[in-house]
Amino acid sequence: MVSSLKAYGSKRGHKLKSVRVFHVNSGACNGCDIELLDILTPFYDIERLGVKLVSTPRHAHALLVTGPLTRKTASAVVRAYEAMPPEPRIVIAVGTCACSGGIFYDSYALYRRIGGSMFDVPRRGGISELIPVHIYIPGCPPRPEEIIYGISLLLELVNERVSKQHYKEESLEDYKLTRRKSPISERLRYSLREKTRHIVGYFDRDRVLEKFLEIVQIAEKSENPRKRLSELIDEYCAKEGDSRVRECLKILERDYWRLKNALLSREEVIYWI
Amino acid sequence: MGRLRMLIDSLSHPRVTEKYPYEPIPIPEDFRGKPEIDPEKCIGCAACARVCPPNAITFRDDHEQGYRVLQVFLGRCIFCGRCQDSCPVGAIKLTKEFELVSLSKDDLYQVVKLELAKCVRCGKYTVPYRYIKYLMEKGPKILKYELLLCPECKSEVTTLIKYHYAQEVHE
Repeated sequence: MVSSLKAYGSKRGHKLKSVRVFHVNSGACNGCDIELLDILTPFYDIERLGVKLVSTPRHAHALLVTGPLTRKTASAVVRAYEAMPPEPRIVIAVGTCACSGGIFYDSYALYRRIGGSMFDVPRRGGISELIPVHIYIPGCPPRPEEIIYGISLLLELVNERVSKQHYKEESLEDYKLTRRKSPISERLRYSLREKTRHIVGYFDRDRVLEKFLEIVQIAEKSENPRKRLSELIDEYCAKEGDSRVRECLKILERDYWRLKNALLSREEVIYWI
Repeated sequence: MGRLRMLIDSLSHPRVTEKYPYEPIPIPEDFRGKPEIDPEKCIGCAACARVCPPNAITFRDDHEQGYRVLQVFLGRCIFCGRCQDSCPVGAIKLTKEFELVSLSKDDLYQVVKLELAKCVRCGKYTVPYRYIKYLMEKGPKILKYELLLCPECKSEVTTLIKYHYAQEVHE
């Protein structure tokens, strides 16, 4: 944009100081148009910067386009663009719709080039589908100040403020997310706890499991824990009056050895926690 | 005398025109301007991409390189502020910046790339590390072991557990 304006200025021997603009509405909701009207009022007074709104594209240096470029208005925009003098032919997209299609970007009523990859589709839209755009002024609608800022950019009064920001996560040093390998006794306890819930229910399971683990601790100290455990459980069951607990302890005893062997030989146990 | 009175009137009033491009202007307190992601805070959950009405925020998972790419395209943002509303960690916020004029579309992008975690069972890429870390801290505790699995493995493991128990009960 600035380069074309500079080339135009150098051809004439001096810098272009005042810009004549022509306003085209390509299917906008009128929000941006009202903001454009605002910058002509005494409060903002764009004419102090040498900008003048003209009534025909033949007198215009720049085209202010608002709206998402509907199919119906596409031909009118092209005609306005082609009616402009060949130099400098600046196009300014005012508003989010003109920049990229805005909230209407996937509407069937918008003009769209054919082709391109699937990933491009959400990124495309706006008047750049049809004519080359030199300045983008996003905003829904843009503040009058922002439009003034855009035109000041054209006149080289101010500098561009936004730039592409790119962030990439750097290292994975902080993250050590692996499956939690708790000690075998704890894994056994959690697995058996889940098992006990299925037999005696969630309310009694902790009581029963604690008793069982007490017995296991005594049995593990002896020389033949497997035999000792079955003896101790038989002793306990003879005293216990609750038949549920009796049955549960026998199932737990069987499961305890099955799980322990599997964990020690590093097989994949089905209920691991 | 009418002309003179008009002259006196116009001279007695102060100047109303703003000197804007040369001097800054005051911005209202609750102004909704450019949305900005704080990349250090972002966990990559893509809640903002889900609620964004014009799809100004989009995300794409690169399963070969192991990245989730979040893109904010200011050229399509309508400054509604729903992203700020939906963000669980307060990473995305609408700033007061409104001078978003640019000479090319590329300047209107903000790209955030976050690393994806691998499933501990099958090794496929699932969700960003930071997301898992966040859920481990804030999420329900019973789900902890499921977080490190991909959806397929999760359903498989759950089925296995249920099948096993059903068999036991049947016996």
